[in-house]
Amino acid sequence: MAIVALQNVSKDYLSDGQSVHALDDVSLEVNRGEFVALVGRSGCGKSTLLNLAGAMDFPTSGRVLLDGVDTSTLKDASLTLLRREKVGFIFQSFQLLHTLTVFENVELPLLLAGKPHARAAASEKLHWVELDGLGNRYPHQLSGGQMQRVGIARALVQSPVILLADEPTGNLDTVTGNVILELLKRLTRELNTATVTATHSAEAAALADAIVRLRDGNVEEITRR
Amino acid sequence: MGRLFLFYRLMLRPLLQEPVRAMLTVLAVTLGVAVVLAIDLAGAAATGSFHASMETLGGDNDLEVVASGGVPETVVGTIATLPYSIRLSARIEDAAVIRDTKQTVPLIGLDLVAEASSDRSGVILGSSSSETLSPSQDAMQHLQNADSVWVGASLGRKPGDTVSLLINDQVREFTVRGVYPDSNGRECAIVMDLATAQRALNRFGRVDRILLKTPEVPGLEQWQQRVRAALPAGVEVRLQGTGTNENRRMLAAFRWNLRLLSYIALIVGAFLIYNTISVSVVRRRPETGIVRALGASRRAVLVAFLGEAAFFGLAGAALGLPVGRAMASGAVKLMAATVESLYVSSRPGAIELSAWSVLLAFVIGFGVAIVSALSPAREASLVSPVEAMARGRREYTARVHKSRDLWLALILGILAVAATRLPAVEGKPVFGYLAAVLLVVASALAIPAFTDAFISLFSRWLGRTLGVEALLAAQSLSASLRRTSVLVGALSTAIAMMTSVGIMVGSFRETVLLWMNDRLPADLYLRPAGEPAPDRHPTVSLELADRISELPGIAGVDRLRAYEISYDGMPATLASVDLSALRSDHQSNFFSGRPSEQVLSQIRNADAVVVSEPFTYKHHVRAGDSLTLALGAARPSFRIVDVYYDYGSERGSILMDRQTMLRYLPDPAPSNLAIYVAPHASAETVREEITEASAGYRVLLFSNRDLRTEAIRIFDRTFAITYALEAVAVIVAVMGIAGALLALVIDRRREIGLLRFLGAATGQVRKQILVEAGLLGLLANFAGLALGFALSLILIYVINKQSFGWTIRFHWPVAVLLFAIGMVYVATVLAGLYPAQVAVRLDPIEAVREE
Repeated sequence: MAIVALQNVSKDYLSDGQSVHALDDVSLEVNRGEFVALVGRSGCGKSTLLNLAGAMDFPTSGRVLLDGVDTSTLKDASLTLLRREKVGFIFQSFQLLHTLTVFENVELPLLLAGKPHARAAASEKLHWVELDGLGNRYPHQLSGGQMQRVGIARALVQSPVILLADEPTGNLDTVTGNVILELLKRLTRELNTATVTATHSAEAAALADAIVRLRDGNVEEITRR
Repeated sequence: MGRLFLFYRLMLRPLLQEPVRAMLTVLAVTLGVAVVLAIDLAGAAATGSFHASMETLGGDNDLEVVASGGVPETVVGTIATLPYSIRLSARIEDAAVIRDTKQTVPLIGLDLVAEASSDRSGVILGSSSSETLSPSQDAMQHLQNADSVWVGASLGRKPGDTVSLLINDQVREFTVRGVYPDSNGRECAIVMDLATAQRALNRFGRVDRILLKTPEVPGLEQWQQRVRAALPAGVEVRLQGTGTNENRRMLAAFRWNLRLLSYIALIVGAFLIYNTISVSVVRRRPETGIVRALGASRRAVLVAFLGEAAFFGLAGAALGLPVGRAMASGAVKLMAATVESLYVSSRPGAIELSAWSVLLAFVIGFGVAIVSALSPAREASLVSPVEAMARGRREYTARVHKSRDLWLALILGILAVAATRLPAVEGKPVFGYLAAVLLVVASALAIPAFTDAFISLFSRWLGRTLGVEALLAAQSLSASLRRTSVLVGALSTAIAMMTSVGIMVGSFRETVLLWMNDRLPADLYLRPAGEPAPDRHPTVSLELADRISELPGIAGVDRLRAYEISYDGMPATLASVDLSALRSDHQSNFFSGRPSEQVLSQIRNADAVVVSEPFTYKHHVRAGDSLTLALGAARPSFRIVDVYYDYGSERGSILMDRQTMLRYLPDPAPSNLAIYVAPHASAETVREEITEASAGYRVLLFSNRDLRTEAIRIFDRTFAITYALEAVAVIVAVMGIAGALLALVIDRRREIGLLRFLGAATGQVRKQILVEAGLLGLLANFAGLALGFALSLILIYVINKQSFGWTIRFHWPVAVLLFAIGMVYVATVLAGLYPAQVAVRLDPIEAVREE
């Protein structure tokens, strides 16, 4: 069964009173262990697709199945629970809380979910992203690459079935970006999770098991390797 | 014009995007301005009208002849026979209660024959509404009737009506012979002939004042000297209206203190404007950088942010005017009640919104706004354009100099302690207030360190106890330390004021309760009916006092007599007690600590007195000094034997033996009676017997318990206005919390959106904001209680002492404080509800994408 399945999904927004078609009849399936790259120009619908896949938003029409659950049928509280358990988000600008230490940032989703042993889990995830020993630092004491690793560790801390990354290397130099992409690819494989990343990077696309090319809200092409 | 457009586009238009927050800031200023204006207007109305009728009906005179206990009538003849062209008008002045309406009005006795013959009676008789006779003829005809009165139009009577008046303890019927227009539509009085008034008041052979109109040359001072030379020793000649001016001077401290108290809300409002402008400065850093790069000068940036503050100030002032006018209507009743209870009989005048009041509102609104905004506006003007643009829109993390500010706070605290040691300036506790202001500033400076230490110590514990939301809330407040500190400063100032005034009033109340145990030893008290006032001393008929003294079951009756006198340019009360009848009292109510019986034995039938504590502060005298009093036709000196605690009136009192007083002022009628029931007798039976004996007299009989209850009721009413002022300050602070939390939510929308991405439920977001509000409330309560305790010491031992001269024993009104602080805390948390709702409604995708 696909981890995420988008079935004939369309998404319209109202922007300044005008209807904007962000996605138009998109269908896509992502399976465990897959590293999927969403490519296309800015405004083609990559971020919208990620938000729908992560149960952060509802489609205007069609269905989004997250680990077999139709997100449109859930209320806010159930959607929050689903998101907590199944999805990890990674952001272009890292989105770390500057008032919290690295440990605290990573364990935050577990604390929000009221789960025990958060520190041990955070410690383990930091080990995975090769940041042992930096747990007590604050984000401003880290490099950009380190901050994104913290972001990845945080996304992994709930052991999600899918990682959704929006331009994860957009704020990094090429070398650091490549390292991060390699890391994501390795973790996807090792943890048997799925990763969907929106990217402009050719390197990211080159690493992907599947490349989904979007244009004006439509899937133009899906290339699987 | 172009600059105005720019100002609108860059400064004002962004405010419209956050209408609730902008409105809360304007409302804070509105309330601050309104309270100051209300107290000013109400103060003028409540304290401005004492004896106004007496003065208005006094006409155009220059001097007045007065004496404690009344001017002997022979003095009228003495002045009339002086070889000068002096016009004189003898008067009896007292109060009467209109029986059916229970309204207390001035009662004025004039020599209407003399007034009519000299054609100076226009104000009364010339305006008579009788149509059949010319004014003078009309008056002359009715003067022969002993029941004739003339009344002010606002009493709503017409010629021929009968009016029942309670004068002292007797009700008498009078016939209205004419109606004259009130001086300002409100200042009504009852006017009767001098002889009728003397009869009604049983005040034969004396008048209360003789008004004199002197020729222009050789000048008032010379005329005063010439008249004085002809007067007996105890009779004084002074400028007309001196009594009114004395009253005004006496009330100055009351008005001054109340006015300063009204500034609390404004101070709290100032904190909030500071916060609003600080937020603006930080949010508009990039824009500031851009306009600086495009050629705007530092001064232009400074003016722009000050302009924003001025907008808040002026808008608040404009709204504050009508709100203040409306609040004044409520305040005037409370203030008038206090004036009436503690100082002088007075009827509130009309509330007049003068051009000065309007100017005051705008000056304080504008002034407070500009002063509050100076520091953040200056900070904005100093930012370099490159730095501002490079950093972009950032969190509110303006620098806070915790250690430096803590040292400054310590220095200011020491200065505050030093200021409390300095004496009053012209009777005003200027240095006491300076000490209070220094402490408030010191507290504001110490708050960042306190807040930081508190959050560092407790945030992890809060996280473990209340969940991750509490940890995030604490971290969020810590990250915005400056903003948090300003909010805690604003709310803690309001709480401190509330706490300090609460402790002061609670201590005062407790002191008064203890004092009443000593001062009210009798079982029953009797006085003439009608509303009591510190400057009105109606008398009980001597026959009634004698009759009660002879009743079976009565162990003794103290006859207290009081007169309104002027001493050293200030009104005072001269009272006597019947020491021969005084119960043995081993308790002490005196500074010396000696038993009351021992002290009072020293004034028995001697030229010796005891004086009240407020009297010593007003006149700078103490035990062992001498007082010279103008009594009747003599000017005897009295030795001050001791000083007694007195919380009954702020006027200052002199107490002597009844026998001594009768030597100088031979009127034996007592003002009230303190009645002791014999040990074997039933208090209830005695009460019934007294009531029976008093048939035909209009008197009120109180049990000891009734009197205490009444005294505490008056006490609580007196301080009701201070609670109202504190409440407004707290409301302003809580509104500030709501506005600031709203700003915090808007500034932290990225974080809030991110939390939603990380799995936070809406309830958790709401909880975080509410915990932030709760933490702000908690921090403010801690800081406010500490500051409030310190301020209460200044209020009790410095400001009260220097303003009123009362010794107050410190007392913690625990229940009142807990209730008040609990209410503030709940209000603070509730203030977080709307911002929390805004946070919950934020679209997380939008919030995260924005950055």
